[in-house]
Amino acid sequence: MTGTAIERLRERLAEVHDLSRAAMLLTWDERVMMPPNGAQARAEALGTVSKLAQERFIDVDVGRLLDELRDVEESSDPDSFEASLIRVTRRRYEKATRVPPELVGEMRRASALGLSAYGPAKAASDFESMRPYLERSLELRQRYVECFPPADEKYDILLDDYEPEMKTAEVRRIFDELKDELRPLIEEIADAGDIDDSFLTGEFDPATQRRVALEIAHAFGYDEREWRLDPTLHPFMSSPGAGDLRLTTNFRPNDLTSLFATMHEFGHGVYEWGVDRALARTPLGTGVSLGVHESQSRTWENLVGRSRAFWRWFYPRLQGAFPAQLGSIDEESFYRAVNKVQPSLIRIDADEVTYNLHIILRFELEQELIEGRLAVADLPEAWNARMKEYLGIDVPDDARGVLQDMHWSGGSLGYFPTYALGNVMSVQIWERAVGDLGDLDDRFERGEFGELREWLREHLYKLGAKFTPQETIERVTGNHIDAKPYLRYLREKLAPQMA
Amino acid sequence: MSVTAAPLPLDRLKAILAEIADLKHAESIADWDSRVSMPPDGAAARADMTATLTRFIHGRLVSDEIGELLEEVGELGDEVDAALVRVTKREWERARRVPSDLAAELTHSAGIAVAAWDKAKAASDFESFVPHLERQLELKLRYIACFPEVETAYDVLLDDYEEGTTTADVERIFARLKEELVPLIEQHADAGPELQGPFPLERQQQANRLVLDAFGWDPASWRIDETPHPFASKPGARDIRLTTYTSESDLTSLFSTMHEFGHGVYEFDIDEALARTPLATGTSSMIHESQSRLWENLVGRSRGFWRWFYPQLQPLFPDRLGGIDEDAFVRAISAIRPGLIRCDADEVTYGLHIILRFELEQDLLAGKVAVRDLPEVWNARMKEYLGVDVPDDAHGVLQDMHWSTGLLGYFPTYQLGNIASVQIWDRARADLGDLEEQFARGEFAQLREWLRDQIYRHGSVYPPRELLRRVTGSDLDPEPYLAYLRAKFA
Repeated sequence: MTGTAIERLRERLAEVHDLSRAAMLLTWDERVMMPPNGAQARAEALGTVSKLAQERFIDVDVGRLLDELRDVEESSDPDSFEASLIRVTRRRYEKATRVPPELVGEMRRASALGLSAYGPAKAASDFESMRPYLERSLELRQRYVECFPPADEKYDILLDDYEPEMKTAEVRRIFDELKDELRPLIEEIADAGDIDDSFLTGEFDPATQRRVALEIAHAFGYDEREWRLDPTLHPFMSSPGAGDLRLTTNFRPNDLTSLFATMHEFGHGVYEWGVDRALARTPLGTGVSLGVHESQSRTWENLVGRSRAFWRWFYPRLQGAFPAQLGSIDEESFYRAVNKVQPSLIRIDADEVTYNLHIILRFELEQELIEGRLAVADLPEAWNARMKEYLGIDVPDDARGVLQDMHWSGGSLGYFPTYALGNVMSVQIWERAVGDLGDLDDRFERGEFGELREWLREHLYKLGAKFTPQETIERVTGNHIDAKPYLRYLREKLAPQMA
Repeated sequence: MSVTAAPLPLDRLKAILAEIADLKHAESIADWDSRVSMPPDGAAARADMTATLTRFIHGRLVSDEIGELLEEVGELGDEVDAALVRVTKREWERARRVPSDLAAELTHSAGIAVAAWDKAKAASDFESFVPHLERQLELKLRYIACFPEVETAYDVLLDDYEEGTTTADVERIFARLKEELVPLIEQHADAGPELQGPFPLERQQQANRLVLDAFGWDPASWRIDETPHPFASKPGARDIRLTTYTSESDLTSLFSTMHEFGHGVYEFDIDEALARTPLATGTSSMIHESQSRLWENLVGRSRGFWRWFYPQLQPLFPDRLGGIDEDAFVRAISAIRPGLIRCDADEVTYGLHIILRFELEQDLLAGKVAVRDLPEVWNARMKEYLGVDVPDDAHGVLQDMHWSTGLLGYFPTYQLGNIASVQIWDRARADLGDLEEQFARGEFAQLREWLRDQIYRHGSVYPPRELLRRVTGSDLDPEPYLAYLRAKFA
């Protein structure tokens, strides 16, 4: 290899990047395009490509280059591309090289096995068949934790993979604040009486849903040269390369959830879209963390997509698309229905308020599992008891309880909190945007979202992963992560429901 | 602690080859996706991804370790293992000859040239394509120079696609074809009425599905999509992807679907025990093309096929086909009509399109024709062989993508495939009896089973000419093909 150390590092990182994105493309293809019988060959291809990406990254050459670059890092402006690249790469390299490749391989294998057992277990509501996989993945996670120097709490190490440098204690503090405020709020809303949302269930032609979802996405900034939208079972966003953003959604024939799912995935997509292209093919060229990513999906789904102004613009169009179903429903009723707060069993169908309690419950159970205070075998019971305590509802079976999410089956522990942290951060960022741009309602009412998007790009998206998530949030909002704006937003928005 | 023995060299070799196969799987998806599903602005990043994958594949293949393992493995008794070693050795030796920067440059500049070709073709602007083609030619000459012991430059290129076949073989066969085809065309060219569209796209896609169902595709393992330039690919076992181009103005999509099915079924029916090895693919371009042409022409333009299918096709396009009976329809899709475009050519004139390209490729390599002068030479030869005037380069020298992607020496395999297809076909009929009666009932399974048993399941276990001998009892021979054409058209 020739070139300066930084050039050589970039070259190596570009290679790792290309391989990781190839793996991402293979995954997208598997979920969207692949004929089902291709699964076995795909699992092998995916395994090889991911393993190669990992091997190339933890290679001693990378360590040597990082050593060589210590001076460059120290003498450069910390905000500079070079300093950020070296800093971020070093942090990841030091983490990655602590974990023996055999353990990485075992975790990947256990994850694949767990995920393939998950489908049938959920379909049969059979927790017992899932238990050995969960125990195995918990055991591997324990071994993973032991690869690192002891942290204040074991959970810190898990959390750090998804939300770098976030501490369990901090999440607990934020979540306790949410819990204290939201549980009474939910009760107050329940006492205020029921809201009719029956018209949101019915026959909604999937082709029309797709047309409507695309109309919204176009107004947000989607275009055919860079984006695509496909149907899938579990919606996700994937960006296999710069200028290539792929949203997926589930056009369920009997409700309109696809619209919100599309706006949600658009938020993930537009964040990736807005990252400074100069950061492409480096570890900096992507969203900084799952929490911050989620703040953007929730911004576009909830702060924009469930706002009154948005529906003032869009509701007449939606009514036009579904005249039989919505023709007699006025805008106010529709707005209230899509913002209805009601405790329910399933996280992904939960409203803006109860959603957080679904997360808090998982966060608490995960800590108990990793600390050995809760056995896997006792998980369903603990789950059901806490659903009763936090949301007041009885879980009829494990399919709608502890088996509803696939995360744990795939070995993802410590991932869930990022969803609620995203909610919290979304409002902090939003308030700052509104502070700069003024009230956005009149623009939304005209179907104009460009100013918001450009503000977010300029202040947040373009930074990519140059700084830590917390630093990124501080740069954007001037503040540390804080639940108060979010709680204020929920109270204000939902006040009419209590009236 | 258990003591694990060091893996046997053959197992170790298979493990490396499996990894290479996995990387090729990723490369294949990257390519398929870029042609079927990628948003256009993703192209630049995709070129980077593909180049990286290619570099890793090449790097793994040319490793010293593979060379050492090939040595250690030595002679093997098992036929399949021996074939694995033979094929790997051939690929390894060829790849080792090519410096990795040249290999990378060939991939990289091909990516750029394809994009340039796309634009040049759309604008019928050969001038803008000249530097790219010159670059491809220059790189190919450098590639050829990596094999100094080969006397005929064209042999180096041909051998990449068609192991064991030389330029001299092709010249001999093509000379024989020319002798017969030119008079056949002169005497039997048909100026009768052509089918007139529009044929609604959805109805055509419906017809394509009916045929695929009858041929025996399974949606759990296959898919079909629309692309401007149809192709078939197999990223991995049980994942077969066909593409077709459906245009309202004609029914060529149906024939291209059957053509790509032929490629797909060959790959699909390869023994799964060969998966993730270099044997898990068709043995050569010629044999592959023999199968696409077999399903497209020998099945798909046969009387028996249309006796079954025409009654289903006709009602899909009542206003276009209502007044055309089966005889007239079969005549229309079989007519000899000298034309401009290779892909649209009939069974007879097709050969001359290939011969023309084969000759020009040799002239380019020998420096007898400069890239700049290609259009002129092309047009003159089209006039000479087919009697047609080329109105512009989009319908002439720019019509095919091949040269832009560095596929020089590839075209002859298409025509060799036509020739082999009839040899195989004759043998199938000798074994199975009259197939047309089965086709007339919409039954194709017996033919497919025979082909699977004789050809498909073996993947690349046998080299192409050997496979042909095993199946037909004779070497590559143009006479059955010519006899077939005479019987059909004269």
